[in-house]
Amino acid sequence: MTEEQAVWTAVEEAATSDRPVVLATIVRARGSTPRGIGSKLVIDPERGLTGTVGGGCGEAEVIEAARQVLLTGTPQLVRVDLTEDLFSWSAAVCGGVFDVFLERAGG
Amino acid sequence: MNSTVAGAARFVREVRKALNEGPPAVGVLVIEAEGDEPPVGARMLVHLGAVEGSLGSQEIDRLAVREARALLRAGDGPRTLELTAGCTVYLELYRPADSLVIVGAGHIARPLCTVGSLIGFRVTVLDDRPDFATRERFTEAADVRRVDFTDPFREMELGAGTYVVLVTRGHKYDFEALRDILARDVLPSYIGMVGSRRRVRACFEQLAAEGVAPEVMAGVHAPIGLDIGAETPAEIAVCIAAELVQCRRGGTGAPLREKERVVERWIVRPDEGS
Repeated sequence: MTEEQAVWTAVEEAATSDRPVVLATIVRARGSTPRGIGSKLVIDPERGLTGTVGGGCGEAEVIEAARQVLLTGTPQLVRVDLTEDLFSWSAAVCGGVFDVFLERAGG
Repeated sequence: MNSTVAGAARFVREVRKALNEGPPAVGVLVIEAEGDEPPVGARMLVHLGAVEGSLGSQEIDRLAVREARALLRAGDGPRTLELTAGCTVYLELYRPADSLVIVGAGHIARPLCTVGSLIGFRVTVLDDRPDFATRERFTEAADVRRVDFTDPFREMELGAGTYVVLVTRGHKYDFEALRDILARDVLPSYIGMVGSRRRVRACFEQLAAEGVAPEVMAGVHAPIGLDIGAETPAEIAVCIAAELVQCRRGGTGAPLREKERVVERWIVRPDEGS
């Protein structure tokens, strides 16, 4: 199964069991980002994560934003900036910026 | 997606159908809209001949369908664009996974089937030996076929989106399979064949004698794989898989260290030495 199939399967399974999940999609990326446009992550409060929008580099921010989307059902466009100072010990030092669209799906 | 929760479940089903069996379709998603018109999160799915869902207005739908069909025809990756002033949409193509056809079910084929499946190919394995062409040997394969090597691709389409790897037990079988492929009107996205320089050379000399054009032969990845010094079947599978990814994504195959030369460019400046 491809990553893409795994992601959509996770969304469909959530829909079938009436369980809300959040689908996050990178819709813009510039500079050095771990993943490019189109990369996806499903955040399922019960089953965990499927796919990835870049791991440590910014993924935590996306998961944090997903809580809100899960609660309200209102889609959000989140900008993740990975251009922080290299010696800040932050994970966000890859050098690029990407936008993630988060939407509630499934329930 | 609030207003279309019922529609969303249907959308997801249709996406999975396009990914699993086709035909391909393009999804359009509203990601930014002034005054939430059309609603942010609205989606539509565009096939070549049909459209499912609506972004809310005929005018917007008409523009979206035009962009979606352009993407569908081009077969490109995802893109984000401003559809009208203040309305930004994201488009992505859903189509079945690329197919990896491994001809020969021997030592290399086993690990290659595993790695190929891991990196997202739908794997088919072909061999004429019933003891080798078995599902038990290739658990990750979508299809394992026993074929006659005089016509290995019978009833198979080998067009764009198909990657063919020739690793049979005998170079004669590899050669005949290659000749069969090169005689086709539509060539696969990738053709690779194992073999030593000598073996590959003999194969190309024969094809040239039969009138195959040099530019057609130049498109064949033979000897197969990237130069990483692979030795064992598993290592060779990785070396072939690396070339498959390179063909799919378009890298150079060179070590990134040599491409970026970070130490040379930023750490040790040559003019500072003297």
